[in-house]
Amino acid sequence: MFTDEKWSSSKNWFIAAVFWIIIGMSMGLLTATKQIWPELLNNRWTTYGHVRSAHVMLVIYAWLSMAYVGSMFYMIPKLAKTKVYSEKLGNFALVFYNIVILEGFFALLFGQTSVIEYGEFPLWVDVQLLVAIGLVAYNLFKTVGQRTEKMLYVSLWYFLGSLLWLPLTWIVGNFPAQWIPSGVQQGLMGWFLGHNAIGLWMTTVGVGQIYYLLPKLTGRPLYSHQLSMIGFWAIATFYVWNGPHHLMNGPIPSWISKAGVIPSIVLLIPVWAVLANFWGTMKGSWSQTRTSVPLRFTMAGTIFYLFACLQGPLQALPSVSSVIKFTHWTVGHAHMGPFGAFSFTSFAAIYYILPKIVGREMFSKRAMEAHFWFSTVGFLVFAFSLWIAGVVQGFAWIEGVPFLQTVLMMEPYVQGRAIGGTMMYVAQFFLAWNMYKTIKLAKLEKKQQAQQQAATA
Amino acid sequence: MERKPSAVLIVALILWMFGVAGTVILPLFDQEINSATASGELRNYPEDSAEARGRDVYIQNGCQTCHTQFVRALPADTNQNLGPVSQGGDYKYDLPHLLGSNRTGPDLMWVGLKYNEDWQRQHLIDPQSTSPGSIMPSFDYLTNQELDDLVAYLMSLKPTEERLEEYQKEREEAKIKGQ
Repeated sequence: MFTDEKWSSSKNWFIAAVFWIIIGMSMGLLTATKQIWPELLNNRWTTYGHVRSAHVMLVIYAWLSMAYVGSMFYMIPKLAKTKVYSEKLGNFALVFYNIVILEGFFALLFGQTSVIEYGEFPLWVDVQLLVAIGLVAYNLFKTVGQRTEKMLYVSLWYFLGSLLWLPLTWIVGNFPAQWIPSGVQQGLMGWFLGHNAIGLWMTTVGVGQIYYLLPKLTGRPLYSHQLSMIGFWAIATFYVWNGPHHLMNGPIPSWISKAGVIPSIVLLIPVWAVLANFWGTMKGSWSQTRTSVPLRFTMAGTIFYLFACLQGPLQALPSVSSVIKFTHWTVGHAHMGPFGAFSFTSFAAIYYILPKIVGREMFSKRAMEAHFWFSTVGFLVFAFSLWIAGVVQGFAWIEGVPFLQTVLMMEPYVQGRAIGGTMMYVAQFFLAWNMYKTIKLAKLEKKQQAQQQAATA
Repeated sequence: MERKPSAVLIVALILWMFGVAGTVILPLFDQEINSATASGELRNYPEDSAEARGRDVYIQNGCQTCHTQFVRALPADTNQNLGPVSQGGDYKYDLPHLLGSNRTGPDLMWVGLKYNEDWQRQHLIDPQSTSPGSIMPSFDYLTNQELDDLVAYLMSLKPTEERLEEYQKEREEAKIKGQ
């Protein structure tokens, strides 16, 4: 099982990731459906609160994180012009990581939770997950250490930074509540994790992926090295301060609020730097998105990234926050980065990398097209339902419409979300089926080739 | 630096630590959030009291995923009649915190003010019977003991008499100003 075959870590992490996107998104779909039929599958184990927590934790730490690690096990050695330090360790870490995720999944269904959003696994799972992440980081740092290419391309900066920040942030966010002096302080630490799991892991690895994929897919050099440096250091400087804006207008002293809100708005700088660079690189290549599905996924990802990063600083304004906070809008926004932007770039990464490591094209181009369109259209229906719902709901609360009535008003939007969500979910089966077929056929072809060679020899 | 991964990592670590210092370490020294208010003291439940056990039931069943405990000094909250604006010190003993991030259901910071025990119990067993159109799932699978504890916890979520009086005065003043 712990093979040291070339690229096996990358491939196996991808396979596990796609398995978990199906499980994780089915939890999401169940969450959405439960808001229409509250009694659906309602019992001690799969009550709404458990399923929602499981959905959040699985799509982020199982699907997206595993897809990221799979990408890095290919991209880092490529950029460093070397091989993976230890494929065996990479595969061992994968098995370990999956066991930990499974433990966390069942812990949540059995009602064990540490409450912290984006860090809901109980402490005994957190500790193991930290070890698993540590193993991955060690392996990849060692890979960079044995590089033969001296220049560090910008993707490597992002990957190195992310692999350092994730474990550290994980420790701060999952600090045992009993050791922390007050509830609000724990809230601040929890949101430090909540925001930086997005800012210093999801965003930074995702942006690194795009920096790698764009020049490869378009065959053009990066628009500006200088700009990519500005983007990287601006993210590293400002993102880490964003936690407190989640408690804005609330029980935190105003100086903490300001310390969180100002950097949130300043984030427009790195976002501009990153996107100007992406779209500068694309100049003259946009027509390629018609034929290349991975490129189309990447570009749709960058557009959703723009949306997410326009919403983010806007929401960090106290006046805007006072309307949309706690509403469905937040849920719409929370899906923009992890699904719209970075799941899309991970899909692109899988479609780009998998053929290279198994030695054959993706089995079906039509399935890729279906995957793209179902994901995109589904997500737009999903997100617009929630944004409109959030604004309507926010203003209804301000006008003093009784709460229960605002719940009834949301019914059509909640249904719209479920319909969009179903399309997003269905899309992933095209990905899973396509991957399965590709890998199976690649194995078969290799076997046939070997037989032929044996016959002619 | 473009050739030295260790340099990138060191600077990345320093920048990260600045953020931790500003948003995690400094707040530790702020009295506003670290000393309990009188209403916050009410939430310091003795170990193994009905309220403390009820709080565990609340967490185990994921109530915090739909309900916030977070009242802001904003029209969206004051017009919903949620009770006094919550202060940092109200949460001194709230571990783990239950501030929440989404109001799929209403805020519960001071829910103990609003209904009596019978209503709470009935609402937990059959939410639609007390709140027609509610999308809250039924918690009829809880044992009697768990229901008792959970109701005790919900009923304990209220401000002190003084705080409540202040709040009512504030609201009346605001009303007069509004006219």
